[in-house]
Amino acid sequence: MLRTVICDLARLRLSGSTASSAAVVVTQVREKGHLSRPRLRNPYWFIRPQRSQTDDLVTGENRSFIKEVIHDTYGVPALIKGVQTYEQRQLIKTPQASATEDAQPWTPNVRRCGLIARKIGQYPLWLKNGERVRTTLLQVVDNHVVKYIPPEEYRPAQQPDVKHLHRYGCLVVGAESTNPALLTKEYCGLFKDSGVMPTKNLARFIVSPQAALAPGTPLNVGHFRVGDFVDVRGKTVDHGFQGVVKRHGFKGMPASHGVTKTHRRPGNIGGGGEKGRVWPGTKMPGHMGNRWRIIKGLRIWRVNTKYNVMWVQGSSVPGSTNGLVYIYDTILPLRRPQLAPPFPTLYDNDAEEQLPEDIWHEQVHNFNEESITYKPE
Amino acid sequence: MNVNARFLTNRIAQQCAYKRIVTFSTKPTEQSAAAAVPQQQQQQQHDAVAPPVRKPIVPAHYRFVYPEFLPDPKVEWRNSIREKLERLDMLNRRRQIELPEFYVGSILAVTSSDPHAAGKTSRFVGICIHRERCGLRARFILRNVIDHQGIEIVYELYDPTIQKVEVLRLEKRLDDSLFYLRDALPEFSTFDEHMEAETLEEGTPVPINELKVVLRPRPWLERWERQNLRGVANIDQYLKDKHRKSSEKVQKPWEKYDLMKQYRATIPEEEQKEIFAEVHTELHTLELQRKRNKRKRTFVKPKHLA
Repeated sequence: MLRTVICDLARLRLSGSTASSAAVVVTQVREKGHLSRPRLRNPYWFIRPQRSQTDDLVTGENRSFIKEVIHDTYGVPALIKGVQTYEQRQLIKTPQASATEDAQPWTPNVRRCGLIARKIGQYPLWLKNGERVRTTLLQVVDNHVVKYIPPEEYRPAQQPDVKHLHRYGCLVVGAESTNPALLTKEYCGLFKDSGVMPTKNLARFIVSPQAALAPGTPLNVGHFRVGDFVDVRGKTVDHGFQGVVKRHGFKGMPASHGVTKTHRRPGNIGGGGEKGRVWPGTKMPGHMGNRWRIIKGLRIWRVNTKYNVMWVQGSSVPGSTNGLVYIYDTILPLRRPQLAPPFPTLYDNDAEEQLPEDIWHEQVHNFNEESITYKPE
Repeated sequence: MNVNARFLTNRIAQQCAYKRIVTFSTKPTEQSAAAAVPQQQQQQQHDAVAPPVRKPIVPAHYRFVYPEFLPDPKVEWRNSIREKLERLDMLNRRRQIELPEFYVGSILAVTSSDPHAAGKTSRFVGICIHRERCGLRARFILRNVIDHQGIEIVYELYDPTIQKVEVLRLEKRLDDSLFYLRDALPEFSTFDEHMEAETLEEGTPVPINELKVVLRPRPWLERWERQNLRGVANIDQYLKDKHRKSSEKVQKPWEKYDLMKQYRATIPEEEQKEIFAEVHTELHTLELQRKRNKRKRTFVKPKHLA
């Protein structure tokens, strides 16, 4: 900074001197003159959502009036698919009609929208051959499309790791509607065009232009089918600063037999001589957890459409119970869908009602069926 | 002031004593048993004064008969929708198979499908030495000695490969888990494979078998002297002074007064009522059905003699 100021001053003096004499003196600037720090520009929806809670001295009448206005614009509070939210009748139903008109067919390389979900717990299911599989339950919580940014306009400052990003647009999806009186004006403004009730959580999904969805479209668990594979992204549990035994699974040293003061220490961290330093990447104590992680290629074993819950293979979905996760179509080449999934999504009116309440994978044992028996050979 | 405060805390402790009930213990604690009597009296008085309010009648023993319907009390792991879905699955499974009431110390026979067994089914008789976990993960351990070899099998209660669970002898023991049978003489965990089911009269409380087990000499798998076992006869015979001293050191006699600990380790009674009110009717109809079937089974048509 200081350097640039000095350079500018020098240039000023130069320009002054050029006026007096024709001789041109060029001062060489070897450096760029400023630090090449990338400018952190967050997406426009990164706004502080929570209003500072001040005592507004609003009378009881006015408070009830505010409530009335909210209920008039967004509908009364309702329990929809097991999630406490609001009846959003104001959402226009036309997008589905328009979508069916110029709907483009699904192709294997197309990127679809994802879902925002909560990890609500884990319990086992059994396959029809008697094998036990551990599953994690993910509940899709009241998702609505907030905005679609077409590829021409989508210029993110922080480039996501997606090849040919210029071909893709961006869908902003909100989850869990909340009382707008608790939120800042700017944050509520994000939802103004779509007519969606302000939500607690927002996420962006990079999608192909064919997979674009109209603002206000609700997204449900029917977006994925049973048997599909998904990637789940979440923030891992924060363990804080941890030693080497917990963080990297080192064995530690014996508790007794003359061992003093080194029971959980890493031991040697490097050699001598030519390699007389600590090599980069050496496993050492440090902060553990609280990182974004994607677990890829999880099979959906079962879906409950009544509560918007999907049972997903495995018990290592990142994050704690009741934590937010994001579900995507898998990027693993051998597990991508062969047949067309609901595209661009499963709209409420066409097939949602026809789906049964519980959908089981063909290999999974339904608890309503009889006990598993093996046929004698 | 000091006296007053102590008095108050005593009162609170007394009040809490019959609100919080240990879910995993099969026997009601002394406190709750003592508290149950005055509560009933109070209720009677209450009934005399005000007209009786109709409530869903959930029997109080359900938390001991169906302990796995109560979720894990760890707050961070709880989610109402997950628990509801899990209960629905459990009920669906219970419609398919009879999962009877049993306790640690009861003798069970489990018939399960086994791809490697001859005839594709296997039946195992043994004493239930441990019962743990909740929801669909509920499981129990059966132990028996077969051909002088101790055998233990872990069964998951809701595993669909289980075909039949029979209770051959319904009883409790003095302790909540019987892992010490592993270090006891083998005759204490030997049960006849062809044992016949003993029937209990309806309405009788589950008997407590006060059998005291004889331990083998050391070495043991666990330090039994530290666990305040009631069902062991001869533990003193193997203890030296150093064992007594060390076991005294690890005792925590104050824990029974730790209300917060108890609160965290259990589901509050109000929530238990909510949960059982949800599943009660279903479980009750299943019980009735089972009784009807049993009666049918016991009635054997006299054979026509030629």
